[in-house]
Amino acid sequence: MAAIKNLNPKAELARNHQALAINISAARGLRDVMKTNLGPKGTMKMLVSGAGDIKLTKDGNVLLNEMQIQSPPAMLIAKCATALDDTVGDGTSQLICFIGELLKEADSHIADGVHPRLINDGFRLASVEAKKALEDIAEKRDIDRDLLLQVARTSLRTKLDADLAEKLTEAVVDAILAIKKGDEEVNLHMVEIMEMQHRSAMDTQLIKGLVLDHGARHPDMPKRSEKCYILAANVSLEYEKTEVNSGFFYKTAEEREKLVKAERAFTDQKVQKIIDFKKQVCKDDGEGESSFILINQKGIDPISLDALAKENIVALRRAKRRNMERLALACGGHCMNSVDDMTPDCLGKAGLVYEAVLGENKFTFVEDCVNPQSVTLLIRGPNRHTIAQIKDAIRDGLRSVKNCIDDKRVVPGAGAFEVACHQRLIEYSKTVTGRQALGVRAYADALLVVPKTLAINSGHDAMDVVVTLQQETRMNNVPMGIDLETGEAQIPGDSGIWDNFCVKKQILDSATVISEHFLLIDEIMRAGLATLKAGPAQ
Amino acid sequence: MAFHVPRGGLQQMMKKGTRYLEGKEEVVFDSISTIRELGDTTKTAYGPFGMNKIVQNHIEKLFLTSDAATMIKELDIRHPAAKMVVMAAHQQEEECGDGTNGCVMLTASILHEAEYLLRMGLAVPELVSGLQAGLQAGLSEINGLTVHTVDLQQIRDVNAVKYAIKASLMSKQLGNEEFLSNIIAEACVSTLPKDAIRFNVDDIRVCKIMGSNLEASKIIPGMVFKRYVESEIQNVTDAKVAMFNCPLDNLQTETKGTVLLKNAEELKNFTKTEEAQLYNAVKAIAESGAKVLVCGGKISDLGLDYANKMGLMTVRLNSKWDMRRLAKSIGATVLPRLTPPSADEMGFCDKVRVEEIGDTRVVSFQRSTSRIATIVLRAGTTNVLDDLERAVDDGVNNFKLLTKDKRLVAGAGAFEVELAKCLDVHAEKCLGMEQYGIKLLAKAYEYLPRQLAENCGQNPSKVISRLMAAHAEVEGSTIGVNIESEDLQDAAKNGIFDHILIKEWQLKLAVNTAITILRVNQIIMAKRAGGPKAPSQRGGHWDDDHDEED
Repeated sequence: MAAIKNLNPKAELARNHQALAINISAARGLRDVMKTNLGPKGTMKMLVSGAGDIKLTKDGNVLLNEMQIQSPPAMLIAKCATALDDTVGDGTSQLICFIGELLKEADSHIADGVHPRLINDGFRLASVEAKKALEDIAEKRDIDRDLLLQVARTSLRTKLDADLAEKLTEAVVDAILAIKKGDEEVNLHMVEIMEMQHRSAMDTQLIKGLVLDHGARHPDMPKRSEKCYILAANVSLEYEKTEVNSGFFYKTAEEREKLVKAERAFTDQKVQKIIDFKKQVCKDDGEGESSFILINQKGIDPISLDALAKENIVALRRAKRRNMERLALACGGHCMNSVDDMTPDCLGKAGLVYEAVLGENKFTFVEDCVNPQSVTLLIRGPNRHTIAQIKDAIRDGLRSVKNCIDDKRVVPGAGAFEVACHQRLIEYSKTVTGRQALGVRAYADALLVVPKTLAINSGHDAMDVVVTLQQETRMNNVPMGIDLETGEAQIPGDSGIWDNFCVKKQILDSATVISEHFLLIDEIMRAGLATLKAGPAQ
Repeated sequence: MAFHVPRGGLQQMMKKGTRYLEGKEEVVFDSISTIRELGDTTKTAYGPFGMNKIVQNHIEKLFLTSDAATMIKELDIRHPAAKMVVMAAHQQEEECGDGTNGCVMLTASILHEAEYLLRMGLAVPELVSGLQAGLQAGLSEINGLTVHTVDLQQIRDVNAVKYAIKASLMSKQLGNEEFLSNIIAEACVSTLPKDAIRFNVDDIRVCKIMGSNLEASKIIPGMVFKRYVESEIQNVTDAKVAMFNCPLDNLQTETKGTVLLKNAEELKNFTKTEEAQLYNAVKAIAESGAKVLVCGGKISDLGLDYANKMGLMTVRLNSKWDMRRLAKSIGATVLPRLTPPSADEMGFCDKVRVEEIGDTRVVSFQRSTSRIATIVLRAGTTNVLDDLERAVDDGVNNFKLLTKDKRLVAGAGAFEVELAKCLDVHAEKCLGMEQYGIKLLAKAYEYLPRQLAENCGQNPSKVISRLMAAHAEVEGSTIGVNIESEDLQDAAKNGIFDHILIKEWQLKLAVNTAITILRVNQIIMAKRAGGPKAPSQRGGHWDDDHDEED
């Protein structure tokens, strides 16, 4: 009887082999779920939430977030994988497969009587060496559009089907190139992702401008304007209540009417100023009159809307704050907090502003901007789950392109890195003395899970493929990856299959840390909380 | 009571109540059989001789209909795979407004055929790539199957339009198609703007009034509201109409106001000035030449009294949308305050009057050049009325499709048989495994005419074999099912057409849904959340732009 049982008879515990077995089976269980996701030929999972909403996904991260995991070790792995996704945006499925495989290899050695600590030491040595190998294998490349396209394609293909991935690849890369300013770090928030539920997924497109998810609020405002001046404002154009308690006293209806007018006057003045400003800016220059768009972060009441509509001003109210920031970047100009000091410099410009109506939802497109520094990816899809799927994929695609720009180097994909690294580690294990060498070798073998799984998912024989890849790599002295169509070896760079350097590095790091946690746990305890719910209340 | 060691499975790792399905048997075949059941439910409602169904939804509202879109919308389907089909049907409704039953049945029959192939040992990726190839082939073949066109001149001709939309109404309201297509065509053509593509389905309003029968239905150019006027005057001709979206009352301050009276004199004065003010406002409106006053807000007794005195007909409309539509229909501008309207802010009506249809009193605003037309539908019961309304909606949507694309294909199953034949021919030329997928699609298409014949009480196998023979003989044949006898008929000659966009979307949505379902290999279902439903998004702030009328 363990000591804790004496202290708290309701405590639950598992120790030594039992604890290890729980951990390892959790890791393998997760791996089994994730395995079928990996690679472009992976299958999809259907997730049904408590409310009955459907989600279809191949993205490991989404899967982990949506699955309600309760087993403590599995939760630990899931959290680590989610953290990986937060930092580098990709590689979740791979990480989980790798952890599962590491523990599987460790398990077989432990069964032979090797102490977990020794294996763990081996893992550590191997991890350091693997990272060195990664540095060597990674290729330094100049960042051009072609390379970025290849990187984005590699990432997107693992999330969506080929046609759609191809379509999104260009959109994603062009979006990043549009917002990239010299050597500054790319701010992905400057790519707005907007969704419209109609047509088909293939109609998803990049808009070099802005799409706002609301429309002009007056039926008489023009639906389509060209050559637009855009005034971004944060000015309330509606009656605002006073902060202190206030009231009016009057004794005739005339007095009341005066008060009504006085109450309006404050708002009306502001509206009038905007109208005067519009008249000053929008003059007919012989090529048709330019139009004036007011995008307000605060409200505009019906009477003000009416006044603006009469002057042919398109007015949008209650724009989102982040859209206001983007507006300035996309069209130029800056946001006004008062109508008193408006100058033509504060105005943004856009070639075309139009409204699209979709059922009850209105969208306003601001397009044809000169040198936009904020762009919008407009996702279209026939239903919610398609849109969600594309959204997740686009997020990963954007991250992979950003990673590539930050890393300035790429790693050959399609399992090539893993095979090459395996070889290097095997060589290295020969220089390691003592039983740690077993750990190094186990680590190397675990790496092969990536090419193996890729092969299985596309219907090829796993061992066959791995052996071919190893042979080819040795013979050609370059990392060889798997060609998923034929099952033969290929040079991944030739087909443009590149993975992110930082993703691989993170995977090597995280996997080692997690497996270390698991191997060195020898007791799992749970304090007896059962008293809280035990038995009906007296 | 130590930990039990979970054995590999995922079940123990997840929250209690989570269901986890994996593998072909549990996921794919189970989904397929559920969807087939859904298809079996809707298929008897397909075509002109389709049966009606009574559906009672969760709030116990009764639907009597043969419209698949309504049926599956009200059924509240829970099964995740079946839900995907419901979504596809919904999408079909959004894009085309018609053809939902075909979409559901096509999906079901594709999956039905797919099950057979999967059990034979075909791998899912092979089947999927075959279906994709089939989709591409089908989409390109469809273009060649146009048999009739309605071009931009003809779209303004009531007879040409009627000819084109009749078949779609036949499948909803057999026997009434002649009358309905006539009334719909007339209404649509009358409101068609100069630029035909800008035609809006919302411009055809439907007003349902119980009693009498369908033949008593009529078109009114303008708007009809099921309410009574406020004023004594109930009938005006050649009237100018002023519209306000504020109450017909004295202006109020937003800040709380208090009347401060010191003696009885002031009290009397206050009432008097208030009356005088309203009087002046109403008088100014009457002097501007308006004969009708439409108000979006409350109408005070005093204001009404003055309006009666000035000879103004006063109508109150509750809905902001009704206000906007009426404004559009009669060319008025809605004013935010009680100010006298200028000449161009006023709308014009030939007739504004209270009519008694059955025992329902309605106010109609008629204008011969109105951009909005209202179809007043008459029928015995609410259910029939609702079904008629859906038929009208489908008809109007079909017209909308005509403004987008002028091409029509042969109806009565002729299109499906011909497309199946083309796909079969195409499949023969393919060398790889995708041949199976394309052939599967061709086979799935045969289910539609088969069902059509079966619903008419004919021997489906006999009809199908005859159809195939007829189509094999002639390239681009338009021979289709004859609903009256087992002898076939030429659909194109008898004016039975379907719109090409409907067929295109059916194909796209059905194949894509089938592919999505086939590709799933695991389903993870969380325990259904209990408790009350999430509060609806509707209503609330005055700033929200919601449709209040339904």
